[in-house]
Amino acid sequence: MLSRIAESLFWIGRYIERADDTARFLDVHLRLLVEDPWKTETEACQDLLSLMGVDSDEPSRDSLVELLAWSPTSPASIFSCWRAARDNARRAREVIPSELWEVINTTWHQLPARTGRGGHTGFLAWARERSALFTGTSRASVVRDEGWQFLSLGRHLEQADMTARLVSGARLVGSNPWPAVLRGCGAHDAFLRTYRGVQGERDAAEFLIQDDRFPRSVMYGISGASHCLAQISPYGSDGGGRRDPAHDAHHLLGRLQAQLTYTPVGDLLDNLNDHMAEVGEGCDTVTRIISQTFFSISDPTAWTTEGVA
Amino acid sequence: MTELLDGYRPDRSPTADAYDEMVDASGEVRPTYETLHRTLAELAPGELQTISDSLASNYFDAGVTFDVGGVERPFPLDVVPRVIAGTEWDTIEAGVAQRVRALEAFLADVYGPGKVLSDGVVPRALVTSSTHYQRAVHGVEPTNGVRIHVAGIDLIRTPAGDVRVLEDNVRVPSGVSYVMTNRSAMIAALPGAFRSTRIRPVSGYPQRLLAALRAAAPPGVEDPTVVVLTPGVFNSAYFEHTLLARSMGVELVEGRDLVCRRGRVHMRTTRGLQRVDVIYRRVDDDFLDPVHFRPDSMLGVPGLVNAVRTGGVALANALGNGVADDKLLYTYVPDLIRYHLGEDPIIANVDTWRLEEPEAREEVMDRLHELVVKPVDGSGGKGIVIGPFASAEEIAALRRRVTADPRGWIAQPLVQLSTVPTLIGESLAPRHVDLRPFAVNNGEGVWVLPGGLTRVALPEGELVVNSSQGGGSKDTWVLAGPASFTDAPLTDREVDHDPGHPGPVSRPEHITAPSLPRPEGEEMDHRHHEQVQQQQQEEGSAC
Repeated sequence: MLSRIAESLFWIGRYIERADDTARFLDVHLRLLVEDPWKTETEACQDLLSLMGVDSDEPSRDSLVELLAWSPTSPASIFSCWRAARDNARRAREVIPSELWEVINTTWHQLPARTGRGGHTGFLAWARERSALFTGTSRASVVRDEGWQFLSLGRHLEQADMTARLVSGARLVGSNPWPAVLRGCGAHDAFLRTYRGVQGERDAAEFLIQDDRFPRSVMYGISGASHCLAQISPYGSDGGGRRDPAHDAHHLLGRLQAQLTYTPVGDLLDNLNDHMAEVGEGCDTVTRIISQTFFSISDPTAWTTEGVA
Repeated sequence: MTELLDGYRPDRSPTADAYDEMVDASGEVRPTYETLHRTLAELAPGELQTISDSLASNYFDAGVTFDVGGVERPFPLDVVPRVIAGTEWDTIEAGVAQRVRALEAFLADVYGPGKVLSDGVVPRALVTSSTHYQRAVHGVEPTNGVRIHVAGIDLIRTPAGDVRVLEDNVRVPSGVSYVMTNRSAMIAALPGAFRSTRIRPVSGYPQRLLAALRAAAPPGVEDPTVVVLTPGVFNSAYFEHTLLARSMGVELVEGRDLVCRRGRVHMRTTRGLQRVDVIYRRVDDDFLDPVHFRPDSMLGVPGLVNAVRTGGVALANALGNGVADDKLLYTYVPDLIRYHLGEDPIIANVDTWRLEEPEAREEVMDRLHELVVKPVDGSGGKGIVIGPFASAEEIAALRRRVTADPRGWIAQPLVQLSTVPTLIGESLAPRHVDLRPFAVNNGEGVWVLPGGLTRVALPEGELVVNSSQGGGSKDTWVLAGPASFTDAPLTDREVDHDPGHPGPVSRPEHITAPSLPRPEGEEMDHRHHEQVQQQQQEEGSAC
């Protein structure tokens, strides 16, 4: 597979997952903001935005929605995610099934008309639906080749990173944010069923971070990414006795897995932000290694001319 | 039935002098259009509009676009098809193929022995002064002798009803993707018309093209790797590049995806470099290789020309083909057909003055306001001046430019292109069209795609149909004769070996299959029902 195409697929996976997760993140926190009696709106919004890596002076509830949902100029917005996904899809048009391309293309076309209409609730629900449509259509139409692995790799890494952000955000607002966070992940019912109705902070954190049976947990994302990487490796999952070029990335994912598995939940909760920040950094590093290993497109020596006479 | 065309051709309209493809001078529907006309006339008022809107939204969702100035625009598809009779098509097909064969022979001669020049059929200066003549490929013989793998020959119909060649495109002709998308959109839009008419299919194009590209592979390559080379997403025809790559199942590469090493071309993949054998390039000569051509090109591949010269890779279409679709050379094509093929031209040219000839200049310089004047190396309608529509200043400026560079210009009488009914607003109005059939040469024969791209100028009276000038398109129907074996799909064997002469179609075997499984519950119901009946019977017999 062409390196350039692999890179596009990887980023399509990331951007569409990010659009979905950002919608969930906003959903949860916009609700919690209303319920939180202790913090000022500005403070809370500032914290949330910095959690998503966005700088803003004196943010309000409205600017939070603006920056993360529908601003075409804010790189963190759902709008920008879909635009970036569509740009990448257009570059990889010949390898993307037509059905899947139409999902991306129509979403992109509908974006301007959707933003601001019917308030944020309608927009966020629509955004989640479109991501779900993409995910479903891709599962049903993409051949399980290397391209699929890159698409999934992107999605898993993004999902681990975003759930980590959502979980650290739980500590920022509200007295008992966990039910809302669980709902945001679509995990509330599954959690109640798994833990038989007991709703403790501990259990919720365990479920969202460590339980790899739940498809939006941090652990699920990391294991999934690790699995995809093993499939992509040119020497097969056992390395075939040779050193895998993406070895460092594999190693790093394994370490994160072990760390999250064997750290006691109490310790995870006590140092929640540190642990979740580590997940985020890990995902970044893995992305960098993958880019260098599989996507790097320019030769070390570039073509230069001596000027035109 | 008359309502549809009520007020269709007002006498004083700018299109009144043109040949109309659907109705004759007395207002009667021509036989080729009868079925289509009936289908259209049966539609409820406003239905045509609804169909047209759904065509537009399908294209919008599917991203069928033609970019102008880097902005994606949906490619306008008109709802009324253009219909060509089977017998007329046979002539067009033969004429197009003949032209491609002649140009192919001309190119082989110009980049080889040069007999056509020494025999004085074409002046040597014409070739050496052409901006598209590439010395770098002189003496380079393609593996299967093909330089024009794909050609687009632009045809028009004059008011007298005869078909003429307007220009040849043997560099990177575009538009074939719209032929395929137009057809599939129209089948969905007007299923009734397709049921009652036998129309020759167009879907075989990608297979024919792939077969021709594979046939062009360098010697000794068993299973050639074919790629499509695009300038990138900002190119006006990017949609077409993706469609061709997709439908041939090959990689679509940009220049930066390729690298030349020791006279071979490779693409960068996630598993390292992979050799490429045939490049269907949609990049102009000038941008192909910064070593030989424009050093500032960011679209090309350094070293590509050397790889072509040493036979490490095959390029389709070949380098330097532009010398054959120079508009000045166009005036010599009838002579080339006689010289190279020993045949008479099947389709004539449009009358043309070569402005480099003093007699011609003398004849036309005072009449520029009634003629069409074209730069010889332009494409896509660029630089054309249509005399009757030009201002006095434009004519004066044109006169100065022609005087300064007479080799660079030709002049033609203004031809009223034929018209086809086109949905404008809520009613049908005549609009001018041309036709670009596409030909594929695999080295053993020239295959012409039935139909081609009908381009339509949407403003009233407008004669420039180019997509880059805001033209639209129509689906083009070639009515099938009794035996159209040439449209049969290729078999695997033919794709590899002999795509030029597909055999007759074999009948599919009759198939049988077990009935679809149903859940057990339903059978239970059936048995339950049976039980109930039997019980009732027993009761009945007991009575």
